[in-house]
Amino acid sequence: MSGGSRPVLEVRDVSKSVNGPEGRLDILSDVTMQVNTGESFAIVGASGSGKTTLLGLLAGLDTPTHGSIQLDGHALEKLDEEARADLRRRLVGFVFQSFHLLPALTAEQNVMLPLELEGNPAARERAREALEAVGLSARRKHYPAQLSGGEQQRVAIARAFVHGPRVLFADEPTGNLDRRTGRHVCDLLFALNRDHATTLVLVTHDLQLAERCVRSVELQEGRLEPLA
Amino acid sequence: MKILLLALRSLRREWRLPELRTLAASLVLAVVALGVVATLTARMEHGVLASAAELIGGDLGVSAPQNIPDAFATAGRERGLAATHTASFPSVAFAQQQSQLLDVLAVDATYPLRGTLLIGDANRRQIVSHGPGAGTVLLDHRALVALNRRIGDIVQVGGRDLRIAGELLQEPDGGELVAMAPRALMSLGDAEQAGLLGVGSRARHTLLLAGEPAAVQSWRAWAKSTALPQGGELITPEQTQERMRSAFDRAGAFLRLTALLSALLSGVAIALASQHYARRKTSEVSLLRALGTSRGRVLGLLLGTLGGLALPAALLGIVLALALSQGAWMFASQLFVGVPTVLPILPSLAAAGMGIAVLVGFALPPLVRLADVPPVAVFRASMARRIRRFDALYLIPAIVALGLIWSLSGSATLAGILAASLLGVAVVAALLAALLLWIARRVTPGGHPALRLGMAALARRRGLSIVQATALSLGLTALLLLAIVAPSLLDGWRQELPSDTPNWFVLNLQDDQRADFTQALARIGANQLNMMPLAVGKLTAINGQPIDHMTFKDERAKDWSDRQLRLSWADALPPSNTVIAGHWFTPNPPQAEVSVDTMWRDMYALKLGDTMRFDVGEGQLDARVTSFRKVDWSSFRVNFFLMMDPTHANALPHTWLSSFYMPRGNAEALAKLSRAYPNLSLVDVDALLDRVREIVQRVTGAVRWVLGFSLLAGALVLAAALATSGQERRHEAALLRTLGARRGLLRVAAACEFALLGLIAGITAALGAMVGGWWLGRSVFHLKDFVPHALPLALAALLAAIVVMLLGLAGTRKVTHTPPMRLLRAE
Repeated sequence: MSGGSRPVLEVRDVSKSVNGPEGRLDILSDVTMQVNTGESFAIVGASGSGKTTLLGLLAGLDTPTHGSIQLDGHALEKLDEEARADLRRRLVGFVFQSFHLLPALTAEQNVMLPLELEGNPAARERAREALEAVGLSARRKHYPAQLSGGEQQRVAIARAFVHGPRVLFADEPTGNLDRRTGRHVCDLLFALNRDHATTLVLVTHDLQLAERCVRSVELQEGRLEPLA
Repeated sequence: MKILLLALRSLRREWRLPELRTLAASLVLAVVALGVVATLTARMEHGVLASAAELIGGDLGVSAPQNIPDAFATAGRERGLAATHTASFPSVAFAQQQSQLLDVLAVDATYPLRGTLLIGDANRRQIVSHGPGAGTVLLDHRALVALNRRIGDIVQVGGRDLRIAGELLQEPDGGELVAMAPRALMSLGDAEQAGLLGVGSRARHTLLLAGEPAAVQSWRAWAKSTALPQGGELITPEQTQERMRSAFDRAGAFLRLTALLSALLSGVAIALASQHYARRKTSEVSLLRALGTSRGRVLGLLLGTLGGLALPAALLGIVLALALSQGAWMFASQLFVGVPTVLPILPSLAAAGMGIAVLVGFALPPLVRLADVPPVAVFRASMARRIRRFDALYLIPAIVALGLIWSLSGSATLAGILAASLLGVAVVAALLAALLLWIARRVTPGGHPALRLGMAALARRRGLSIVQATALSLGLTALLLLAIVAPSLLDGWRQELPSDTPNWFVLNLQDDQRADFTQALARIGANQLNMMPLAVGKLTAINGQPIDHMTFKDERAKDWSDRQLRLSWADALPPSNTVIAGHWFTPNPPQAEVSVDTMWRDMYALKLGDTMRFDVGEGQLDARVTSFRKVDWSSFRVNFFLMMDPTHANALPHTWLSSFYMPRGNAEALAKLSRAYPNLSLVDVDALLDRVREIVQRVTGAVRWVLGFSLLAGALVLAAALATSGQERRHEAALLRTLGARRGLLRVAAACEFALLGLIAGITAALGAMVGGWWLGRSVFHLKDFVPHALPLALAALLAAIVVMLLGLAGTRKVTHTPPMRLLRAE
């Protein structure tokens, strides 16, 4: 997608520290970056490099110790948790490594969740369309335990796109899948990213996947480096 | 051994799991609730029995129409029991020109062993005393009035001059309801020397014993295995006075009910927690199975973990129960005086045993099913679910619950009613919950998102929701039964003795005195006047066979046939009487008819249609048995074992027996009345009524105390049960927060969910408590016309919904604060 439009995510001098049993631990240090609207952006790094922490900060799930993050023009660090929740509901979609579908809900009900939170009266119809888009119409009455890993992740992708978010955050979306299924899931993710003009921010340690994105950066011990 | 070590290691690792903590907490609570209630019950029963002992003047005794063989007293002394001898007989006292038939009790100096003998001296001071000394006598007010004597004067009893040492104000034996004559207390030595107890006398001898409970029990067992003297019977606190006994029985039943419901509440919490634990362990078990662990070993591991949890929890429960019981007793002990202060340990140990039985019974089914998880489930979680339409294992908690009900209720009726009520509530609650969830699933999206989310939350945990609704309904039924129905039961019980219960009886009223006497009573302010005819006779034959030639299994039959009987008659069936076989008298029957009390029916093995012959005065009357009656002897009305049809009985020589209520402080007016009608015997039963009221008051106070504790235990168990879905909720909340749900929305959704759950539980529980309470009131507590009030129950149901909602919200308060980041961290 085009990389020249205005930024939907702007990160300036962001640091994150936590107090652990062995004293203060710096997870992220002086991270500065920008993601433009409609862009696909990969954050690559080894385990423990701070990828997931950065993703959480970008999506407004957590706040930085220092620095500022603007999501679609909103300074996340100035918002309280409730306001950030509102923002997430309107602007953000998620795909997790371990799917995080609610086990007691059918595929369709899981996809309906973000729409129900909005109070959307057409939740069921929209959820069916989303499931059709990921090729799981026939499985809509199935519970997560009755679906394969790849199918579960496709349901999760349908849930992430169903309410038309501006930014979609994906945390190791293929981490729990075999190579072939992972490729299918990624194809789907990028196709939807393209069709819906959604910005895609994904965290992965899979370099091949990162290469499919328009831009990629690497996190090394909490610092952002251009991908070698 | 190895597997046990493995289990303990697993327990150490899992100790932080909320389900295991809930399981342990439920067991601790179950043991504490059962233990405290059982300890208090044991002490209170002790207290109640001690009160009964006060009424008979000893812990236990034996009475017979002749001297009690020495072996009985010796056996008591060998066990360290104190003993006292008494003898009661009628005797005429003379004082100058006056004479009066007295009901005399001759006692030795140690009387009474229990309770208080209160006398008034010449200066109207009240003195606690023992049996009168040689040469003295104590007379009650009626005797003093009838003989026109004062304290210090001389009266002649059995030919001996005795000095009146005081006025008899209160004796441990509150006196029989309709004592035939005024009361006197004299020394046993004087009575013997005067020949009042010799051969041919009508004296009834009693040996009373008192001492340590274990020694009393031992003597009781010995006495039961020993041949009692001819016509003799054991006197036990339980059977001393029918009216008292009825009060004790109800108190005992109620206390047992309280303990039982507490135990069932804990079972409900344990069932919920262990189900949750089993769900959590499924993946671990499938992994173990996949790694080659046999099913038996897995089961051993699970049971070892459960055992490792149960023992320390039960021990903690015992310690807490003992500590709380001791603390509780310090507050409650003023209710009962003279109860040993030693803390009984056995009830708490038994409670621990029952608690473990509840834990095993309610936790076993999910754990056994857990061991059945196939190894292949490690690849696919859905394989772990085995759909069974009927699982016999789930009969175990039902059997444990029934066993508990059976062992703790002590009565088949109570057990049956409780089991049926709780089963009914469980079925209705499950059906109602399933119906509501069915509707929730089909309802088109609309309305407030929080309501839809709440409904969806209920619907998505369908199985758990139904189980929770049922569990909550059962718990609430138990609580409502205790909280709403019990006080009504107690009030109903108290109201059976209203303040204007007749407190005076008049004997020997003649036909021609009736009108004048009624007017005289009205003048001095008496009311509630009731008159019954009274003929005195003897049973001489049954079905034409002389009674002397007949043999009866029941030894009392012979004794009764030697006595003078009181016969009465009325057109209508008297209150507190119920015809249980045959029919009440038809007008003008061709042959005389008699209605017989059930005790007499059993004693003489009577059947409808039998003929009883009575000698009354100079004549004889053959009456056919046309009905059997159940008489409520606790009602404080004048009741008769035998009632005749008025048509034939009116011709019998008779006097009238009257009862009326006279406010206190009118002794002078009554004394005047007594002198105006010298042939009448006026009997004051205020003392006895006071005694019964005092006992009812004491027991009610104690029961309320125990009730409060059970309510607390129930509420805690209920809260623990609600918390079992916490883990799932936290995950769900984190996901919903990540997807942008506001905290307020989650809270309102949880409020809707719990309010709905509470409403289902509240409605079914109110219905269950209403039906169960009505049933218990009638069948166990014998309260006629008892109907639990619907309004308080409806309010209680609403309150229950609110409390469940608040408890649920409190339990999920932390959930809404779950940081969404935990999803990314895959916690």
